[in-house]
Amino acid sequence: MPDLNQLYKQAILEHNRNPRNFGKPDEWSHHATGLNALCGDLVEVYLNIEGGVLRAVHYAGESCAIATASASMMTEISTGLSVAQWQHKFELFKRLMDKNSQHQSFDELGQVNTLVTVKKFPSRIKSATLCWHAMDAAIQGLPDATTE
Amino acid sequence: MLRAQFPGLNVQVHGKPLVYLDNAATAQRPQVVLDAMNDYYLHHNANIHRGVHSLSESATDLYEQARVSMAQLINAPSEKDLIFVRGCTEGVNLVAQTFVRSRIKAGDEILISHLEHHSNIVPWQILCEQTGAVLKVIPMNQQGELVLDDLDQLINPKTKFMSVVHVSNSLGTVNPIKQLVQAAHDKGVPVLVDGAQATPHLKVDVQDLDCDFYTVSGHKMYGPTGTGVVYGKTEHLEAMPPYHGGGEMISKVTFESTVYNAVPAKFEAGTPNIAGGIGLGAAAEFMLSIGLEKIIARDQQLRVYAEQALAQVDGLRIIGNAADKAPVFSFVIDGVHAHDIGTIIDHYGVAVRTGHHCTMPVFQFYGLAGTCRASLAFYNTEQEVDVLVESLLKAKAMFA
Ligand SMILES: Cc1ncc(COP(=O)(O)O)c(C=O)c1O
Repeated sequence: MPDLNQLYKQAILEHNRNPRNFGKPDEWSHHATGLNALCGDLVEVYLNIEGGVLRAVHYAGESCAIATASASMMTEISTGLSVAQWQHKFELFKRLMDKNSQHQSFDELGQVNTLVTVKKFPSRIKSATLCWHAMDAAIQGLPDATTE
Repeated sequence: MLRAQFPGLNVQVHGKPLVYLDNAATAQRPQVVLDAMNDYYLHHNANIHRGVHSLSESATDLYEQARVSMAQLINAPSEKDLIFVRGCTEGVNLVAQTFVRSRIKAGDEILISHLEHHSNIVPWQILCEQTGAVLKVIPMNQQGELVLDDLDQLINPKTKFMSVVHVSNSLGTVNPIKQLVQAAHDKGVPVLVDGAQATPHLKVDVQDLDCDFYTVSGHKMYGPTGTGVVYGKTEHLEAMPPYHGGGEMISKVTFESTVYNAVPAKFEAGTPNIAGGIGLGAAAEFMLSIGLEKIIARDQQLRVYAEQALAQVDGLRIIGNAADKAPVFSFVIDGVHAHDIGTIIDHYGVAVRTGHHCTMPVFQFYGLAGTCRASLAFYNTEQEVDVLVESLLKAKAMFA
């Protein structure tokens, strides 16, 4: 039986208590909404992209600890990257979180790797991936992303 | 003991005894229901209303006896007033697309309430799209009760139908159905009552309520999944057009025209869920044999106990405090999101539902994305409520 402490690791609880880049910014160039119709999770991602670089990444919304921590970590790891670099990390993140994959970490993902244990709680994987899909949608100029 | 008759309760989750508090999503089923379904498959397996052979006859008898038992449970004047369906959702869609569709036009109004389950909202939105009719909503208050102050304006000459939930699945509110039906009938408006959460908890009497239609969900009242009935007043069932076309619902077919079968067969196209219908009849008989009075009294005990027990959890807020309420508790806890609570208490064996419970407008009213919902049945125990409270305290500690 997976232990609850593997899901609610200190790093995740800490990000949940003090989410980074949280709240709607004053200005942004790209925005998308992530909706998990099944559980009602809703996250808004706001990006400021200039010259192909992610100058600022913010998110807002009320969500569970896993979704909050994932979004918070995502904004930290994404800020300053080029869009192409981000897309590479997003691909790695999807592979990390694929419940059929054996991957336990990718160096490029840094602290985001702590989310890997969510895989042991299949019903919660979408909590962790929602904001990433919303950010991907924002970059592509789509209004929203859904995980269901 | 009644609890012992529910084998599904006797399982372990994460090494802990299951504490099943998700009865509003679907209830557990007693052995007699499982036995009745098995008995059909093992000893009476045949299609119904078709063969002259013995098995077909005995299968037909079992199925039709189930209809009688369901009629008895909700005190319908005749079992012929009951249509077997897959559940409440199909029941509402059936009435929307037959009875209501045949008497509605652009600009007419359909009245529902703010407390409805999506299955009593979306079928009406679809009908409105098809016909140009308009959906109107009876408002609710902070307590989770319907506000009837403006009912007189809400039911107006344009109103052609009203559809309201008997017991709210997300808050537990028991609505004043008799009063609503009376108000609608005073203006000649027929009423459907969504009884999905009522039959497990209340003594339902469709004649006393005087509603025009009443939908029942089998799986919420200890019966099999994919079962249910729609009760309709005889004159409506006679008058309204069929729903699905196919076998069983006809009495004569040529390529030029078809003569429909009598009610209720007219609405039961195709081979039905025979085993499920028989199981549903067994569930109705099971409830009648316990006695609704006893179930109501036990619900009441558990409700009071749980209310007091949950009050011990600091920072826990119960959403929905209607004066008349089923043992259903929607709640939020400061600083811990509902989904995290659900995952954590699952590790202590406690099953609750988290999210919007298919009533998004209710939670839009409260400005919440969702809640945790503990919904009790008569087989739950005070000790199980204690386990819920202990596990909630552990969830809180984890996030402290
Ligand atoms: C109040 C209410 N109405 C309707 C439904 C839908 O019933 P069924 O699952 O039988 O389609 C439910 C079940 O979730 C419910 O709680």
